[in-house]
Amino acid sequence: MILHIIALAAIIATAVLAIEFKDLLISTAMLAAMSLMLSLEFYLLQAPDVAITEAAVGACLSTAIFIIAIKKTARYENGAC
Amino acid sequence: MNGSSVIVKVVSLAIILPALTFGLYIIAHGHLTPGGGFQGGAIIASALAIFLVAFAKQASKTLRKNLLSALECLALLGFIGLSFLGLGKSFFFNFLANSGLIFGQAVPFGPNPGFINTAGVIPLMNFFVGLEVSCALTIIVLTMLKAGGDKK
Amino acid sequence: MELAKIAFFLIFTYFLLACALLLRPFGKPAVSDMDEYFILNAQREAASNNVVASIVFDYRGLDTLGEATVLFAAVSSIVLLFRGAPK
Repeated sequence: MILHIIALAAIIATAVLAIEFKDLLISTAMLAAMSLMLSLEFYLLQAPDVAITEAAVGACLSTAIFIIAIKKTARYENGAC
Repeated sequence: MNGSSVIVKVVSLAIILPALTFGLYIIAHGHLTPGGGFQGGAIIASALAIFLVAFAKQASKTLRKNLLSALECLALLGFIGLSFLGLGKSFFFNFLANSGLIFGQAVPFGPNPGFINTAGVIPLMNFFVGLEVSCALTIIVLTMLKAGGDKK
Repeated sequence: MELAKIAFFLIFTYFLLACALLLRPFGKPAVSDMDEYFILNAQREAASNNVVASIVFDYRGLDTLGEATVLFAAVSSIVLLFRGAPK
């Protein structure tokens, strides 16, 4: 029960941080942390298949795609490099 | 496009090979442990994506898009053909299970240590789906990495 | 307008909270005939220890075919989208 509460609170905290940061690279790292916490929550809910998928796709592949997109465009939210 | 820094290169070299091995393990044991074709393919694609992001210049020579898309189409065709092979009973019929042929060993009911030579067509389908998913996700990352120039 | 937004937010939040209170306890589904059939018969029929894999690739194989087709469509649309991009 304690682990559930910690994981859900960490999901909400990292999601809010990902919205609030103006540096998009840190926002991407926060999204990866949110995916990791979400996979921990899936594991606690006894769905290891979904946890593996979430950890691989959410924490690694989407982060790589976001990093590529940031590399091609601007790094900060107001358009400055 | 400049290469990444030394820290990124060394850490990704330390990660890539264990990640590839873990993905192959997940695919090969898909009918015994949690996981399967999609999960293992996603892990392999993650390792290849790290390789692509860290070593952009060398990786675009090693991984070619035509080869990857040909492999993906072949894997999807193999999956569909394997499902059509069971058409004697019904679509997606598990015709190899309990037959004594390859992957055809019967499983005792209840908890058991897990035998690799079981489950009929499920390991073959795991292999095909894993190949398809890993090639597909790698093509997405590779296409996005190559398209467009650098930032102005 | 602001008042309408706040009212909508509050109503939706209370709707979600009410739904969360109506959840049944973890691991006790309402109708469990299908689950019991799979758990009792998957090892004999599909000869697989992993019941989830036997459902994904044997009992409900058509869903997996649709998933693979969706992935293929996504990849081909992305390659189509970036076909004329400058190198």
